[in-house]
Amino acid sequence: MSKKKYFVKRKKTCKFTAEGIEYIDYKNIDLIRQYVPVSGKILPRRVSGTNPIYQRKLTRAIKRARLMALLPFLGD
Amino acid sequence: MPLYELGVILDPTLEDEHRTVFLGELKELLAKEGATIVKEDVWGKRTLAYLIDHKREGYYIFWQYEAPGTVIKPLEYRLRLSDQVMRYLNLNLDREMQRARKMEKVRAAQKAAKRAAKERAEAAAGAAPAAHAVREEA
Repeated sequence: MSKKKYFVKRKKTCKFTAEGIEYIDYKNIDLIRQYVPVSGKILPRRVSGTNPIYQRKLTRAIKRARLMALLPFLGD
Repeated sequence: MPLYELGVILDPTLEDEHRTVFLGELKELLAKEGATIVKEDVWGKRTLAYLIDHKREGYYIFWQYEAPGTVIKPLEYRLRLSDQVMRYLNLNLDREMQRARKMEKVRAAQKAAKRAAKERAEAAAGAAPAAHAVREEA
């Protein structure tokens, strides 16, 4: 007997659109960290559901944070 | 004059006096070039996400300042040459915030338009029954 496969689709939302965050500050590490898993990679849009405009801003903020040693280039 | 934001990571082994002297020099340089510091944010010592020059910690300082564009070159020259500065990042905040400010205006306009539309709808709703009543009277 095969198990029935199913999964619940969660609605993905863009936090920045929802909360009206226009400028993503690289110093705001608590916010940025939500989009950087332990691996240190930038979470892709397809996972986080961020809008393209904000994903680009987020990427820039993460890279700046890395330069200032607030986030690692390489994770564990 | 555009608004800039400067973030500096200083050597944590630096003594407090040396640090204040160095920061004083920087402030002097900024003042000489016609800049005014709007906001100062000192984080102090903080563990780095990775080693820089075999150091685990850094002393973080952030300044927001208004200055003519001519200040950037001498300032960054000074920062680059200094041994005490481990990293720095200078941003033009005006350019960064451009879209944020634009979107604020757009949002306000949208809100105003929505409110106007609602008022118009209410006015129409208020007027319609009145017209109906007039017809009945006739």
